[in-house]
Amino acid sequence: MLPSLGSTPFRVLALTGMAGVAALLSNSLASPARRLTWTGSGPSLPSFTPPPERPPQAAPTPQPPALQKRKADPPLTPAPPARPRLTAPVHPAPPEAQRRMASSPIREISGQEAWKAFQSGTPFLDARRSSEFAEGHVARAWCTPVWESDVDDRLIAFKAARRPGSEDPIVIYCGGGDCRDSHLLAEKLLNEGYFHLLIYRDGFPDWMAQGHPVEKGQP
Amino acid sequence: MRTWLVHPKVTLAARVVQGLVFIAAALPKLADPPGFAKAIWAYQLVPAAALNPLALVLPWLELLCGLALLAGRWVRPAVLWVGTLLLTFILALAINLARRHPVDCGCFGSAAPKTEAQRLADMRWVILRDLGLLLLVAQVLAAGRPIDAGTVGVR
Repeated sequence: MLPSLGSTPFRVLALTGMAGVAALLSNSLASPARRLTWTGSGPSLPSFTPPPERPPQAAPTPQPPALQKRKADPPLTPAPPARPRLTAPVHPAPPEAQRRMASSPIREISGQEAWKAFQSGTPFLDARRSSEFAEGHVARAWCTPVWESDVDDRLIAFKAARRPGSEDPIVIYCGGGDCRDSHLLAEKLLNEGYFHLLIYRDGFPDWMAQGHPVEKGQP
Repeated sequence: MRTWLVHPKVTLAARVVQGLVFIAAALPKLADPPGFAKAIWAYQLVPAAALNPLALVLPWLELLCGLALLAGRWVRPAVLWVGTLLLTFILALAINLARRHPVDCGCFGSAAPKTEAQRLADMRWVILRDLGLLLLVAQVLAAGRPIDAGTVGVR
């Protein structure tokens, strides 16, 4: 039985419907930086369960990949250890290299290590919002805002330009502190078959504080 | 006492306060849906598939309810939605407070970086604020039919 047009239940439903239509329209008209994908397959959708107690930061020890990730990134790694999360590498690495990388596919690094990686030409991915990237970023970094709808296109452009192998290092950073965007992007790249992901723990604020090369402007 | 509590002027004030709060809450979220999705994600309560649709629809729902309350049209359905949303927000904050998982409220868009202790303290205040708003919801609902009948110029 349908509620009558003037009834409260009908109007409650009507408000919901109007909000949905308005959301559809506004999202379709929004710029890529302001748009969201409706389906749950977007890059900004990690798995969800309440985070466990934050364990003390410990030096990495050889463990299965899922366990290793759990230590490095407690709030974002709720998947059970037994669940296989890795897909086939983009460029299959030699077995020896695969074993080495699989032991620690995602690792946090200090500012000093990030600087060394920068000097050796390792690509840097900026996981922050594109507006933050425009205000300042690590020199020659790629803008890959994990929360924006065009992150996949940006990653494709990065891969096409740099052609990173599955075992090549990639540095990922965001705003430091409790920013988790770099971890989300690392998890996304891990699922795409990259096994040497270095998360610059203290992120861009630390880079600025150290006086390292910075660029500004739109990506 | 009850007469005073459901006085049309009190109801009007309750509607205006709720309307303004919900419009103010909706606008920054409408301007930056990915930022709001990130704020919802931080609560670690919403299933992945529901995250983006929620981040897209919820601000519009807040805006429409706020406008309805301000305009005095469809007050009862709007206030029912506002009450439901407030209860949901309170529950989400309380769960995270109970498990000591500090989150930015995300109520009025993104906030400046804070320490974990500051966030936990803020979460308590936000729960209190939302409880206060719930009292206003109760007032409008208690005023009931006189409001819908147009006693204070609303329908």
